[in-house]
Amino acid sequence: MDNRDKLKQLIVDVFVIEPEEFRFDLKRDDIETWDSLGVVSLAVGVQETFGYHFSPEEAVRVQSVQDVMTILEAKGIKF
Amino acid sequence: MRTILEHQVNLRVALLDEAWSDPETFVLLPDKGGVTAEWVEAQLSRVPCELHTGHFVMLTSGSTGKPKLIVGSRMRSEGLARTLHQWQDCEPVGQAILTLPLTYTYSFVNQWLWSRVVGRPLVQTAGLSRPEELGATLRQAKDAMLCLVGVQVPLLEQFFAGQAFPGVIRVHFAGGRFPQERLAVVAALFPNASVFNNYGCAEAMPRLTLRRANESPEASNIGRPLPGIELASDKHDALRFRSRFSAVGIVEESSGFTPITDETWTPTGDLGRPTPDGSWQLLGRASEVFKRYGEKISLASLLTTVLANWSGQAAFYREADLRGEEGHVLVLAPAPEDAQVRSLLRALAATHPRTHWPIRVESLDTLPTLSSGKVDSIALRSVPDKRSHWHQRI
Repeated sequence: MDNRDKLKQLIVDVFVIEPEEFRFDLKRDDIETWDSLGVVSLAVGVQETFGYHFSPEEAVRVQSVQDVMTILEAKGIKF
Repeated sequence: MRTILEHQVNLRVALLDEAWSDPETFVLLPDKGGVTAEWVEAQLSRVPCELHTGHFVMLTSGSTGKPKLIVGSRMRSEGLARTLHQWQDCEPVGQAILTLPLTYTYSFVNQWLWSRVVGRPLVQTAGLSRPEELGATLRQAKDAMLCLVGVQVPLLEQFFAGQAFPGVIRVHFAGGRFPQERLAVVAALFPNASVFNNYGCAEAMPRLTLRRANESPEASNIGRPLPGIELASDKHDALRFRSRFSAVGIVEESSGFTPITDETWTPTGDLGRPTPDGSWQLLGRASEVFKRYGEKISLASLLTTVLANWSGQAAFYREADLRGEEGHVLVLAPAPEDAQVRSLLRALAATHPRTHWPIRVESLDTLPTLSSGKVDSIALRSVPDKRSHWHQRI
């Protein structure tokens, strides 16, 4: 499973959306369950899956799937 | 005192009639009650001498998992059986069909004692452990009454899909959450039956309230107290009762014999509130309402949402999360598809914040049950090899 698949699986699992609803251009407003505690869950999930722990600033800044990828790519995790 | 075991009654129910006619107090025990004969003997030695005649003793592990002996008065229990009969005598019930063990106070009083007091036949079955035999009995039923627990409904649906048993005219539910969401299934299986939600506990020996299914759309509505029974709750919603039909005493290992009189207010272990129309709303077991990250969680409320979106069995057990915060694990049976788990969690998300979601969603082929048919919450926690489908990340 490559990193794109891992990220897709994580987003599906954290926000309990259907796999077919997933897109890499999904934004926070597109997902009802992406609330403040959803952000915390996503941060924990990113650490579980990619071994990187969002800083509080990064966690607040994340507003889309693309934002997650951008932060992780800056840490050397390729998508 | 004479001891009668469940398997002995299963072989010859007349044993109970003989014991009831004999003045000596008898003890009716399940085959697997989680206690030793020595434990029972030690607790029985604490029962006052004046109760050694005219009474009967039953074992309950209750929802607390702590076994206790309940001492019932034959006269008071017969009074309750008569009251139940008068209260519900709107259909001419001609027979009671047993699907639960008689070591459960609910079936013992509502069915065995009722049939003895009003002179109607009692039909023994092995319940859902032998579904084919139960199906054959139900097909031959004539004006029959059934006493069930809600957790049996998915199994009835599974075993008897597409079948109907018109000879059953009254179905009672007790022993846990009323299957409000499954009433269509119950109606399809028993198209001629009046369906009742019963509420009670072993100490009440065992009934406290009753309502017809169609009197409320809420599973938590347990109806009004039966005549001779009072309910009350305190500022913390702790529900208690006093009843002229209740047990006359409890024997617990820790506290010995505790008498119960007509004036004694006895805790039910549940939380509840009166409603303006005189019925009562159950808020769940006292142990099933707790705080998680400052949010008040009611497992009864969560279960209502789960069962509205899941056709199988479901139950929660309590567990602290990795941070030591109190939480709860949802166990489904049979195993769900991943899409079903997501759908369930979205349903929870629509009505509850994420802190109310379970720590994990797990599954088993079937949920472990007590001999009463209720979910065994102690075993549910400890049973190995539960499959994990999803986990919470807060």
